[in-house]
Amino acid sequence: MDLLSVQNLSVDLGSFSLRDVSFGVPEGAYCCLLGASGAGKSVLLETIIGAFRPKQGKVYLRGVDVTKWPPERRKLGIVYQDYMLFPHLNVYDNIAFGIKKSGLSRTWISDRVNKIASQLDIADLLERDVATLSGGEQQRTSLARALITKPEILLLDEAFSALDVNTRERMRSMMARVRKEMDVTVLHVTHDKEDVWALASHVAVIHDGRMLQHGTPEEIFNRPRPGYVANIVGAVNLIKGRVESPANAELGAVSAHGTTLYTADPIVHGTEVVLSIRPEDIIVARDSGLVSAQNQIPVVIADVEKRGPFVRMTGKADGLELVAIVTSSGYESLEAKPGDRCLFLFKASSLCLVDVSETLQEAVPNVS
Amino acid sequence: MKNNIFKATIGGVTVIFTGLLIWSILSLMLMPETSEFIESTFSEEMLYSIRLSLLTSIVSVAFVMLLAISIGYVLARFSFPGQHLLRTIVDLPMAFPELVLGLCLLLLFGHGAFGQWLKSMGIEVVFSKYSIVIAQIFTAAPYAIRVVYGTFRGISPRYEMVARSLGCGLLESFLRVSLPMARGGLFAGTVIAFARCMGCFGTVLILAGGTRMYTETLPITLYLNISYGNLAMAMSSGIILIFISLGAIIVFEILNQEVVL
Repeated sequence: MDLLSVQNLSVDLGSFSLRDVSFGVPEGAYCCLLGASGAGKSVLLETIIGAFRPKQGKVYLRGVDVTKWPPERRKLGIVYQDYMLFPHLNVYDNIAFGIKKSGLSRTWISDRVNKIASQLDIADLLERDVATLSGGEQQRTSLARALITKPEILLLDEAFSALDVNTRERMRSMMARVRKEMDVTVLHVTHDKEDVWALASHVAVIHDGRMLQHGTPEEIFNRPRPGYVANIVGAVNLIKGRVESPANAELGAVSAHGTTLYTADPIVHGTEVVLSIRPEDIIVARDSGLVSAQNQIPVVIADVEKRGPFVRMTGKADGLELVAIVTSSGYESLEAKPGDRCLFLFKASSLCLVDVSETLQEAVPNVS
Repeated sequence: MKNNIFKATIGGVTVIFTGLLIWSILSLMLMPETSEFIESTFSEEMLYSIRLSLLTSIVSVAFVMLLAISIGYVLARFSFPGQHLLRTIVDLPMAFPELVLGLCLLLLFGHGAFGQWLKSMGIEVVFSKYSIVIAQIFTAAPYAIRVVYGTFRGISPRYEMVARSLGCGLLESFLRVSLPMARGGLFAGTVIAFARCMGCFGTVLILAGGTRMYTETLPITLYLNISYGNLAMAMSSGIILIFISLGAIIVFEILNQEVVL
């Protein structure tokens, strides 16, 4: 049973609505809710915490229906992108806010605050005014304030988005460490794929108020549903084809634009399928040698685009267009330029079958 | 060239207007003899008037701020049908001439069903000292509500959501987060309400009557004495009102809070 389960949730806010959203977060998971601005991620998060009353659907915590519970009963901690530290309280009082209840001794509260402040490297900031803190310090204070109450789930709403690149990287490392130490389940709303790669054990992709796909990061990145999910995870190589291998074959053979491709995924003879290959999984070679890769596609280099330490190479073969990403040094050793003939090589196990059964069929035109 | 003409025009208008304003205030301040001012200020009538004005204003401001916090918070935080209508209704007294507001209140508390019901309960409002407080509340409340509403609007509701996620109920999150965060706006609202209560004339005149040494607040003192031709007393009460208003503005400026009006 999932720790958090959202079932058929619809929220109507007039100008925006969530439609029939369902997903779950298992206990101990780090789930990233991935989507662009305006996708409905924050509305979903705030509905889970109890800020909005859904039009229909349910929110379950440990199997208990909490849809109509007020936020204070749900035991969920939240950290917003803009920290929301109480400006009239110093760092200590901000962190202690949730445990300052009648009947609790000052010593006990102070011990708890000091312990969590040490874990988050802000022990020397406790007497400071929150307005004097840097972005990273404010974010850690906000995190400490949410974690001190030991929430069932920690909700992060674009928690690292306002930070500079280096601080964001440090926050990710710290978040991974703290999550492990405190054994907390996290639901992290983000538009940044790096957050997913660095932290997530589960991913859910949301767009225009609808949940498009959820699963492990590998499932989402290797087998993204065509259209929005494929775009947001940077899956550029989606190939539509027809299965031509016999039912008992070890590898599935798919005919796409006159080229035969091999996949290790189970596929059914005679069916139409969509396959995905990550650009990073393609090896570019000048000529064919003895290689174990089952897929060896002769292409003409159509475009070369340098992006920092990487080079994005687009190759065309008949109606098929594939993108490979190689390192700059790898590209220089190839000495390939637009118009040259190369081979795109990739393993059958890297060519993944994409499930298009439930998703937006109208998005499939992006597929080559 | 055109830029300079534009700057000179708007600068000139500003200088002329503020100059005339300062001149008019100084005319009042410099007109009475010092001895006349002191004598008038310490006269029995003036001391009564100052005491009554301060007392009623303090009581009124307490009620006004309770109203302003409640209504300002409701308008800023909750969505409900008729929200805009409520805001317009609350603002209405600001657009009314004070005399008209006083007349409305006179009908409500005097001859109307509500007034008759109060009378049957033994509460006589009209032409009593209570009516000064009522007149001041209705006159000052819209200004304070505007300030407090703007302040609450300026505080992200997410602060309260954080507090509630940390175990606070609606009331506790209001008391521990929203109210302390709004303290600048609340103080500004209090200062404005106090200034409005002290200077409230038309509404008090109609609802409480301008009875000497009974319902005589500072503006009523000014009015009564100018009617009798006692210029020294009139000017002294005017100067005292100016000092009180100046004090309120100075306190307001010192606070230097950004309040959405």
